[in-house]
Amino acid sequence: MSRYPVTWRFLDALEAVAAFLWPRRMHRYTGVLLLVPAVALVGLLVAGLFQMGDSSLRLLDTETFEQSEDYSLANYRDLIEKPTYFTVLWRSTWAAALVTVLTLLLGFPYAYAMVRTRSAWRRKALLVSLFLPFFIGQVVRAYGWLVVLGKTGLVNTLLGTLGLGPFKMIYTFPSLVFGLVQYMLPFAVLLLAPAITAIDEELESASESLGAGGWRTLWHVVLPLARPGLVASAVVVFTLTLTDYAMPVVLGGGTNDFIANAVYDAFFRISDNGLGSALALTLVVFGSTVVAVMLGLLGAGTLGMRGRGNAR
Amino acid sequence: MRLSPRAVFGAVIAFNLVALALPTLVILGASFTEGNMIVFPPEGFSLKWYDKVLGSEPLREAFLRSLWVSLICTAAGVPAGAFAALAMARFRLRFAGALQIYLLLPFTIPLIASGIGLMLFFGEIGILGDLWPVGIACAVINLPFMIWAVLASVNGLDPDLENAAANCGAPPLQTFLTVTLPAVMPGVITGGLLLFVLAFNEFLVSLLLTDANTVTLPVSIYNSIRSIITPDLAAVSVVYIAVAGVAIVLLDRLVGLEVFLRGK
Amino acid sequence: MDKRRPFDRRDFLLGSAAAAATLPFGGLAFAAAPAKPKELVVRVWGGEWKDAIDPGASKSFTANTGIAIRYDETEDNELQPKLWAAIKQKRRPPVHVNWDTTTNATKSALRNMGEDLSDLSNLGGLLPVAKPLGFDKWPLVNVYSYVYVLAYSQTAFPNGAPDSWSVMLDPKYKGRIALYNDGIGFHPAAQVAGGGKVADIPKNMKACWDFIGKLKAQKPLLGEDPDFTNWFQKGEIDLACTIVTNARGAKKNGVKVAWTVPKEGAKMDTDALWVPKGLPANEVYWAKQYVNHALSKEAQQVWCDGLGLPGVNPNITPPADMVGDPAYPTKDEDFKRLIRVPNKIQVENEKEWFGRFKQIMQG
Repeated sequence: MSRYPVTWRFLDALEAVAAFLWPRRMHRYTGVLLLVPAVALVGLLVAGLFQMGDSSLRLLDTETFEQSEDYSLANYRDLIEKPTYFTVLWRSTWAAALVTVLTLLLGFPYAYAMVRTRSAWRRKALLVSLFLPFFIGQVVRAYGWLVVLGKTGLVNTLLGTLGLGPFKMIYTFPSLVFGLVQYMLPFAVLLLAPAITAIDEELESASESLGAGGWRTLWHVVLPLARPGLVASAVVVFTLTLTDYAMPVVLGGGTNDFIANAVYDAFFRISDNGLGSALALTLVVFGSTVVAVMLGLLGAGTLGMRGRGNAR
Repeated sequence: MRLSPRAVFGAVIAFNLVALALPTLVILGASFTEGNMIVFPPEGFSLKWYDKVLGSEPLREAFLRSLWVSLICTAAGVPAGAFAALAMARFRLRFAGALQIYLLLPFTIPLIASGIGLMLFFGEIGILGDLWPVGIACAVINLPFMIWAVLASVNGLDPDLENAAANCGAPPLQTFLTVTLPAVMPGVITGGLLLFVLAFNEFLVSLLLTDANTVTLPVSIYNSIRSIITPDLAAVSVVYIAVAGVAIVLLDRLVGLEVFLRGK
Repeated sequence: MDKRRPFDRRDFLLGSAAAAATLPFGGLAFAAAPAKPKELVVRVWGGEWKDAIDPGASKSFTANTGIAIRYDETEDNELQPKLWAAIKQKRRPPVHVNWDTTTNATKSALRNMGEDLSDLSNLGGLLPVAKPLGFDKWPLVNVYSYVYVLAYSQTAFPNGAPDSWSVMLDPKYKGRIALYNDGIGFHPAAQVAGGGKVADIPKNMKACWDFIGKLKAQKPLLGEDPDFTNWFQKGEIDLACTIVTNARGAKKNGVKVAWTVPKEGAKMDTDALWVPKGLPANEVYWAKQYVNHALSKEAQQVWCDGLGLPGVNPNITPPADMVGDPAYPTKDEDFKRLIRVPNKIQVENEKEWFGRFKQIMQG
């Protein structure tokens, strides 16, 4: 007769404890139970939003530097009346749009090659080249670009040997856009790749065997089928760029602030928590509206969180 | 001459590869310089900056603090995200749509707003200035990544397998431990590694939530960039390159990087 | 016990015990100083500034007391809300000693955020400028004065110093000018350079904003202290409105940089040290000792030499390279060329001035 294994006894004991803590009649609430930690964590964020909302309605007294006791909408009025905030918002939005388009243009070929290449080695190489900068962090990479593009940097030195330059390639809006595109590239590729994987290669070969050239196949077959990935990439890159903080600080030279920098300035340069909170909430509303519009028009794409479900 | 997509794609990819690698190589190279300024190509070859960095106590403390923050983030985020993904994939829930929006909040709310909100809230409840709330904050803002990673695995698991196990008489916990959990492990590992690296790299939220006593490594590097920049900054950055390398190797060994190519 | 006797051995013992119990309190003056913390955190500006205070005040303090000094290089403006929040929420403040601009320190003092420094022994012999205006006690102490000079690259100006701030408007220097992020130190100079009068600050600053508006077209670089040294060293700029210390730092590293006080004048101001409230009692004591030490002749001599700035201790001598420099005012005619804006006006208006400057520069 075989002995009852120890592990089984252990599992039985665990099972008994679980059954005691979570009896059968509660089983249909297991889903809810499983959600509690995540909901609690995100709840912290919601609490933060309320805190900001409360703060945004209070004015700053410049003599005592205390926030006022009573509420008013003066901070929001300030935002609308002072042209600087509109300028910053416009600049952030324009940069976000530019960066999104450029990143998709640069990222799609990369994602396509990564998915379609037959060589596993090449695929891995492309993946590693993508992940390494992704894991290094924004600040260090931006600083790397300062070194490469500075007046005495690598590019200017090379151009110097050709008798050109030196050109001013940092602390300008174009350099900021360039840095952002570089930063966003991994995000875009990672969101495009699953969508391209889902495209049956047979469709492309069929198209070509019917006489369509490379570009036509791309335009009429691949791109439309890759739409979920394109949408997801566009949405992610746009919002990340719109709300970026570090790049404008490192590469912008102080005159190319984005909204996140304006928020930070409000809190930490003029100590006006109310104005900063109002600006941050405006950004939340603006960003969410843009995302909602984009997703509404184009569908959630690969960003969806739906499970394929198995209701118990 | 008509340019085929292959040629154009090839050129774009080459450009991307150079652009992606350049900052990394430059920082790496500059860290070996003999001189006192960060230049590339480096002047001479010397390991003195690494000496300085390894011997610097504030940097070592910042590094350890970043590790601690990453551990807390992973410890909090992995269970929360994994369970949430399971719940959404396996259970019929009311308000599933609203739930999706709610759990995507850390992603839709701009990072600066999340950071400031958490800063204000943590301040109100008096935990600002400690290190562990920074870890929790990182878990909050990166939760969607965890949920996505696990969802990808869960959706790949045939629910009939769990039913079969139950049919064979396995009680629920055992089914979970022996059937579900191993199947979602790839997602859990991917998500966990991602959480760890993202928390280790987290800059903006750390900037808002830490002060001189709790400064983490990315903030320390940022402060140095805004101060006089000597090549020890490059040497420190190499730490990040190393950590990134280790994470990639781990991810590849345990799960395979190709997992990111597949959909959900 | 025999109660008829007014005083006996037991009373004596009780009395001694009572006296012994009060000894720690009454005997504080004779007792050892409070427990030493492992380290003190001092907020500093990075680069030349940290490099000056370290040999000046910190190393000697550590040698005397054994307490290590750690530096926090968060910008003064950025630390301020964190400090205020910590004090208000009854948490421990992030620093022990804040090396701050006098204007910022005054804002904190107005909110009652600083410990009183009146009992420091070295306060006695300091120059009058050390005492903060508008307070009867010492919630902060000014430690030196400085001038926001017009720094220039000598390669760009081989014929000597430019004589006016309006050289910044010369299209030749487009993209090669630098100012502080919020324009600090520049507003009064811009006011005069724009054709206005100092007396009109803050009522009518149109001249200032007009000048800055014209400057915007020159695409200036905006940054903090270490950026100026860095930019001069990397050859990114030819002109800057910055504190002389930063330009001097680049010069020490071999860059051909010099500075001048143009004909319109330059703004002069002071920096201060203060100790935030909310620290444990023993740490307050030692933080105050650090401040006291920083005011001593030995500390000030090395510290201010490193900065190239005139300190508040009357017994120090100027460094060799700053003797006769208009940015190191010692004589009356030096002071006449400098513009001083009262702290009170700065405290009330800085937010608006910084905001407007940013507005023009971002627009």
